[in-house]
Amino acid sequence: MNEHRVTLRLNQQQLELIDRTVAQGIAPNRAALVRLALLQYSDVHQNDTSTDKPSYAGALK
Amino acid sequence: MMPRNLLDSFVLDAGTGKAIELYKGQILRIEQIEGAQCVDFNCFNLHDYKEYMHTGRTRTLHGLHPTKGHFMWSAPPRERALVYILEDTAQCNDVLFPRCSANLYESVYGFAAHTNCHDIQSEAQREYGLTPDDVHDSFNLFMHTGVDENGKPWIDRQKTGPGDYIDLLAIEDVLAIPNVCGADIMRTSNFSIKPVKLSIFEATADDLAAVPPLKRLPSQRTPADFKVKQIKADRALQKDPAYQPAFTNVPIRIEELTVTLTDEEYQLLRRSALTELYGSDDGAALRDIVFSWWGERFISAS
Repeated sequence: MNEHRVTLRLNQQQLELIDRTVAQGIAPNRAALVRLALLQYSDVHQNDTSTDKPSYAGALK
Repeated sequence: MMPRNLLDSFVLDAGTGKAIELYKGQILRIEQIEGAQCVDFNCFNLHDYKEYMHTGRTRTLHGLHPTKGHFMWSAPPRERALVYILEDTAQCNDVLFPRCSANLYESVYGFAAHTNCHDIQSEAQREYGLTPDDVHDSFNLFMHTGVDENGKPWIDRQKTGPGDYIDLLAIEDVLAIPNVCGADIMRTSNFSIKPVKLSIFEATADDLAAVPPLKRLPSQRTPADFKVKQIKADRALQKDPAYQPAFTNVPIRIEELTVTLTDEEYQLLRRSALTELYGSDDGAALRDIVFSWWGERFISAS
């Protein structure tokens, strides 16, 4: 099995949100949270054909 | 086209804003460096801060997405053109959404401190003695928005690229205050905060000739028309020589987080990646997915 290393560039605020989410027990660490997000997002959006339609929840500036 | 005389040029760092004295006949260019960065914009009459740009008046005259050929108008009872949009290569602007605020990031995301447009505007205009209460709703440059069939507003990712710019010509002497939008965990600027370039030019005769004629009507009142002519604060905006900028969470520091994916996970990433925005940049595509997922999972729609 091949491994793929993907590097995210995140600022301190984005990392704070990730760390707080980890601290809630959603995932054991940052990398695991990113992989969980990928799995769950892909599952929800597996039938999307292009940019998903914006929702009101995402419409926060 | 006559060449313009460049008066100043500098970079506006992520998380910051800058109050700029822009005199009648000068042009402020706001330019993307990396692309996909929203910029909030406020402006005041330089000689009377009680007159300021009003998104409501501007929205009524030019719609939700003003662009080249449109004006930024001041609030009633002044209702004068303060700024004219001479050029707009991206045509991706918004006058519907209010500025983001500290309360938004605390109430929705739980941040004790987070970059936000209201506080950045406040901090920038503090150089001229203005208070946080003086910030007004912003003209949102490089912001992709709309309204759905139920009348609810939405924000989506944007496609502006490096070098996209907007040229703002001062019709009156104004204090112009652009700020780099602080939203990095939502779609506004494609989940990152990036610097933008600002340049100030002297308008040429061609530039000035491009401005449509403006009527002057008695209903466009001035303080001379007011029954109460005096305000309790000074009208003139005076620069505070002791001003030291103190923006929230600035400098914005970037850290790399490397994640190892299996073949199967990597295929999921490639299938979900917004390649039209991020190309082969897997890291940017995955960052988008992480914060899109976060919003969908932890923010309940109202």
